[in-house]
Amino acid sequence: MAEVNDVIPETHRVKTLLLGIPGWPGHLPGQHVDVRLTGEDGYQAQRSYSIASAPDAFHVSLTVERISDGEVSPYLVDELHAGDRLELRGPIGGHFVWTATQGGPLFLIAGGSGIVPLMAMLRHRSAAGSTVPAVLLYSSRTLEDIIYREELSNLVGKGDGLTVAHALTRARPAGWAGYARRIDQPMLAEVGFPASARPRVFVCGPTSIVESASQLLLGLGHERSLIKTERFGPTGG
Amino acid sequence: MEKTKDGALPLDGNAAAGLLRELFVLDLTVASLTCEGCGAVATVAEVRVYGGRMGAIFRCGACDTPVLRLSRTPSGFSLDMRGARCLRVPTAPA
Repeated sequence: MAEVNDVIPETHRVKTLLLGIPGWPGHLPGQHVDVRLTGEDGYQAQRSYSIASAPDAFHVSLTVERISDGEVSPYLVDELHAGDRLELRGPIGGHFVWTATQGGPLFLIAGGSGIVPLMAMLRHRSAAGSTVPAVLLYSSRTLEDIIYREELSNLVGKGDGLTVAHALTRARPAGWAGYARRIDQPMLAEVGFPASARPRVFVCGPTSIVESASQLLLGLGHERSLIKTERFGPTGG
Repeated sequence: MEKTKDGALPLDGNAAAGLLRELFVLDLTVASLTCEGCGAVATVAEVRVYGGRMGAIFRCGACDTPVLRLSRTPSGFSLDMRGARCLRVPTAPA
């Protein structure tokens, strides 16, 4: 059982749960947990949520997007408060994982809340003092939907080799200097590393973004074995 | 993010990692699986998964052959691996 120590609003649909978990064995950046809710009638629903925190962070944090017709996320985002308890198991999954010792370059591609496991990697990279060249390409609907916007900007400001490029797919503020379209091949070629640099690529987001980005990356000559993907359910980038 | 939803779009083996860990000692999501239907080799984490409350069906991304069916009942697990020619499971994280 985890105890919710705090709930932090990130965007209008997204919150971060800071958890205290007795006996937590530690995790690798990119891993997730399974959260299980049990109703008063015994009905159970279980969902997977990526861990947002770096391994050495004080809290294990989960960043959760409210899916309006979801069974679990509306409860996590709207009903949970500090002091509540949460049944979860984890950390789980050894595939979609990056640690600084694996080296780089690191090319991260996120759609919407697919940023969460990638943020754990970037937080870890920063905490570990790694200067592995890293690029994050992050697609969101609007400026207000960008999760961790300020923290990402601060991480870039450290000047330790991280670049972040944003793409906004639905609406842009006046004077927006980032991309104003969905992720496409010219964008991947422009912001990312060339295939010859053999970057480790992690793509996380809705199935549609993951499938299209991986195909485009293969088209650019990136090796299939260096592209790791994680898909999640119905939601938009 | 919410990764599993009954009857929704296919997810992938990452989302079934917890279910697999209930049955296997090693992390099966880092294993490579050879499809009996077309011979394609894929990491289990990247295989398409159609999941629900009761279990998951894993399908080859290249030819759609069901390669693993794992279900959980109140009395135990049922694993049907017709469709998987070979499963190579590393003993250390990939």
